[in-house]
Amino acid sequence: MGFIHLHVHSQYSFLDGASSLDKLLEKVKALEMPALALTDHNRLTGAIRFYEKAKALGIKPIVGVEISLEDNYHLTLLCKNKKGYSNLCRLLTEAHLANRGRQPVATGEMLSKFNAGLIALSGCSRGKLPSLIEKGRVEQAKEAARFYREIYGSDFFVELIRYPSREGMSSSHQLASFAEEEGIPIVATNNVHYAEMEEYRVKELLNAIDLNIPVSQLPSCRTVEQYLKSSQEMSKLFRDLPEAITMTEEIASRCSLELETGKLHFPRFDTPRGENDCSYLSKIARAGALRKYSSLTPKIGNRLEYELDIISRLGFCGYFLVVGDIVRWAREHGIRCQARGSSVDSLVVYALDISNVDPIEHDLLFERFMHPLRYEPPDIDLDIDRRRRDEVRDYIYQKYGAENVACVGTINTYMARGAIRDVGKALQIPQELIGEACKGIHYLSASQLLEYADSYPELKKSDIYKRPELAKFFKMCAAIDGFPKHMSVHLGGLLIGDGRLSDLVPLEWSSGGDIISQYDKNDIEKLGIVKMDILALPTLTVIEDTLSNIKKARDIDIDLDRIDRNDPESFAMLCDGKSIGTFQLESPAQREMAGRLLPNRFEDIIVSISLVRPGPLKSNMDKLYLPRRHGKEPVTYLHPRLKNALGETLGVILYQEQVLKVAHDLAGMSYAGADGFRRAMTHDRTQEEMEKMRGFFISSAVGGGVDRALASKVFEQLASFAAYGFCEAHAAAYAVIAYQTLWLKCHYPAEFFAAVLSNQPMGYYPPRVLIADAKRFGVKILPLDINYSTDHYTVENGAIRVSLRQLKGMSKEVMESILSERANGKFTSLRDFVLRTNTSQPIVENLLKVNAFDSLDDRSELLSQLPELMKLKRIVGRGARAFFEDERLEPGIIKEAVRSDVKTKMLIERELLSLDLSAHPLDFLPFDNGFTRMKDLPSVATGKTVRIAGSVIRYQTPPTRNGNRVVYVIMEDGTGIADVTVFANVQEKCGQVLFREGWLVVDGKIQRRGPKALSIIAENLSPLNTTN
Amino acid sequence: MSKLIGEPIKVHRKEDSLITAFIWRKRLYRVNEVIGWWREPSEWWNGKAIRLFVRVNASNSSKGTYELYKLGESWFLSRILD
Repeated sequence: MGFIHLHVHSQYSFLDGASSLDKLLEKVKALEMPALALTDHNRLTGAIRFYEKAKALGIKPIVGVEISLEDNYHLTLLCKNKKGYSNLCRLLTEAHLANRGRQPVATGEMLSKFNAGLIALSGCSRGKLPSLIEKGRVEQAKEAARFYREIYGSDFFVELIRYPSREGMSSSHQLASFAEEEGIPIVATNNVHYAEMEEYRVKELLNAIDLNIPVSQLPSCRTVEQYLKSSQEMSKLFRDLPEAITMTEEIASRCSLELETGKLHFPRFDTPRGENDCSYLSKIARAGALRKYSSLTPKIGNRLEYELDIISRLGFCGYFLVVGDIVRWAREHGIRCQARGSSVDSLVVYALDISNVDPIEHDLLFERFMHPLRYEPPDIDLDIDRRRRDEVRDYIYQKYGAENVACVGTINTYMARGAIRDVGKALQIPQELIGEACKGIHYLSASQLLEYADSYPELKKSDIYKRPELAKFFKMCAAIDGFPKHMSVHLGGLLIGDGRLSDLVPLEWSSGGDIISQYDKNDIEKLGIVKMDILALPTLTVIEDTLSNIKKARDIDIDLDRIDRNDPESFAMLCDGKSIGTFQLESPAQREMAGRLLPNRFEDIIVSISLVRPGPLKSNMDKLYLPRRHGKEPVTYLHPRLKNALGETLGVILYQEQVLKVAHDLAGMSYAGADGFRRAMTHDRTQEEMEKMRGFFISSAVGGGVDRALASKVFEQLASFAAYGFCEAHAAAYAVIAYQTLWLKCHYPAEFFAAVLSNQPMGYYPPRVLIADAKRFGVKILPLDINYSTDHYTVENGAIRVSLRQLKGMSKEVMESILSERANGKFTSLRDFVLRTNTSQPIVENLLKVNAFDSLDDRSELLSQLPELMKLKRIVGRGARAFFEDERLEPGIIKEAVRSDVKTKMLIERELLSLDLSAHPLDFLPFDNGFTRMKDLPSVATGKTVRIAGSVIRYQTPPTRNGNRVVYVIMEDGTGIADVTVFANVQEKCGQVLFREGWLVVDGKIQRRGPKALSIIAENLSPLNTTN
Repeated sequence: MSKLIGEPIKVHRKEDSLITAFIWRKRLYRVNEVIGWWREPSEWWNGKAIRLFVRVNASNSSKGTYELYKLGESWFLSRILD
């Protein structure tokens, strides 16, 4: 007898389902069941991928949910068709949005409103009917049954679930009798929560995590029966009610949902009277191009018409208008924004002011962005000033209607640390063991943790992963690896529907109060809903703040569109590796590249951004390009016809756009066809497909008169590059911002650093490193002061004043209270400050400790009050580094601070401001025993061994060409930065130090990969302590 | 009412796994009827496995209802029901 599971939870029933979709579907396939329903709790998050995976396996997907009702009852709902799917989306949306901050609840009214196209099963033991019958409230159960039948008619079924238990299965028998008396058809389900019986442990573990209790305290009603049982097992359980089994097939046959995954849904744009989307787009694009170029040459005019024609043919005009409108509004309101990504290849995008990169000047190819052979949603990503991003979002909501707009949801899943912490808590593993287990983990999943425990030195050196008594614990951590925990807001993704969004996508609240889709961006794309990335870019805020600082401090207005793009001073600074704080150019890899490339023109920044990527570096593009750039190797082309495509990069393929140009120029492909060729080579392909492409490329090139061997060689180059190459348009868009920050840092360092420090967290480096760098640029740092500091870093006579925000424990409210009161007059004494502001004692204490009252007129009063204040407060000394353990902050330190003992001040500043203002910790380390300060490294000869000491800024493990892991450690010692490379042999030797220590001593050899590209190849790492 | 036992037993089964008899404290109990079976979750976090329970009517000198369980490959008499 055939049986189909109609009530099944996957891991998308967050912290309740214990199996992945793959596992469930594989089991269904093995059991030869023709269909499967997915009914996760209150969400369709797994539905789209379930639908696709099931179809691919030849299994009929039935989309549904188990929804929560009033009084905590459950109901199982299945979609019969598109109408049912749409109603389910709307029902879920209302159930979620009506209950912000609480569990979703579908009311009876909502069920009635969104009933069409849905099948309802009475639910598990928490269903209203089974619950009432269990309690003997039969009349109420009858009333509930009548209600459901009114709503769902013949599509309502009593759901029977049988778990053999000591108590027998009497509730199922009672429910079956009730159904018979009421004339309601019955159906058997197993309320599946895992594919295999043994996975009940994972389910219980997840439940314990969800309830925040140890597994040993789980409620007593536990079972192992919620697995995906075979037809035989289910038929055996229901041998007295065979109709409950056959009904599963009947219900499955009623469900025939076909999701439209090919149709694109664009937002609607209101054009002026007499215009349609395309005519209006043409009009404003032409006007925009005229503004940009003053006259439209045939080249520009033809390009514009060509792009408009394709955009029109693809039906994307409205989309361009929508994006153009958003940018127009932002610019009108003084909000810095610009496009990133391949859309910058488009002249229309440039003409609409969406991008500020001229595609004609940079010879960018539109087809990399869009062409008639590529029918998929266009993707114009916008970077917006972070501080004002929400204003743009609010405009979109207001313009297109709250019902039609939502943020894209993203699924947060378990990685190793989270799994160790949550599983450890549920299994009552001692906290210190959990802490120890988390210590050495650096970007690993829980499964990788077990996989690499014997090979990664930092894991190998700790015995914790090998203790037999913890083996099961780590196994359970791996069991929930990658499991979804909760949903949150995608960083920039915004959905604008062509109508009510909840007809297509279920929506819910994020914890931060945004309305988000229950689908992630991949599933959104599959549904054809056009997503816009409206990304908050802090660098744009930094630029805006720097310009504002310059205006305030010097009364100068700077138009960044008009600055010298090849400023020698800015490039000299870049070549010297002094690019900390700048956009895209501050990472160790970029600083090293600058020392090798020695950039001196804007285009070099585009090259640098494109080269410093895992792909190009892995395929040795840098080694090909740099000698040519420096004239050490001749610029040659495999074929004269490649000069047009590769001339700008000296015969080396650096950009994705060049793949298109080469295929076009050498093999005569159309640009659209060439982009298809590039994409095909980029994605996973079989050897057979590759051979087909090779054959096509070579025969086309040979047909055009190219030598076969040469064509074959070019193809090999394209094939090896295509997977790794970078989009020139994107690099150019970023190069504009990168150069602006470089120029601002070079010419207005105080204003620039003040802006960067005010916008933390951002970039690679913490504030103390930025402050140290600012000092190296000759910028004086003024201490925090209650009469001068504001809520951001400010510039005072060329110096930077530390922000109130930097103080430990400072809240927005306290800051506002200080600033609003100060607007009425400066504070005259400590008493005056305490009386006029709502500042708590700990904050006053911290302000005292960092000498923030130093500017007061009457310091004697302050000092006399100090002992009294000190009695009330306990000074905390947490966080002092290991080698200062013996000098932890103790009561009395304030007196020390007031006496201006430099070392004490330094300790207090580290503790309370996370800054090194008065001194750096290493200033107190005797450097007479063979240590080299980082500022002196440039004068050390290549190959010489040095010993450096410093604090770790960050560890990096980028992918490498041969797959061997290389660890990069960025360190600072107050005088400069050092980039340390740790190869496998040293990782092996020093595994107990790697990723664990915040302060290191490194012995290593100086390496130079270019005229100014210096790094240290580590030979030994050890923790820094006073004995060094 | 029931009496908890928790002692090991030897079980006789037919080829189709049906329990026909068990030996407890050296006395043979013939199984007349299998009333029901179920599986119970264990304290897996303490390394314990799922237990399979079988409730039977069996007779020795007199008739009675017995609850047996299997843990790993071993069988135990869980309790005697009145």
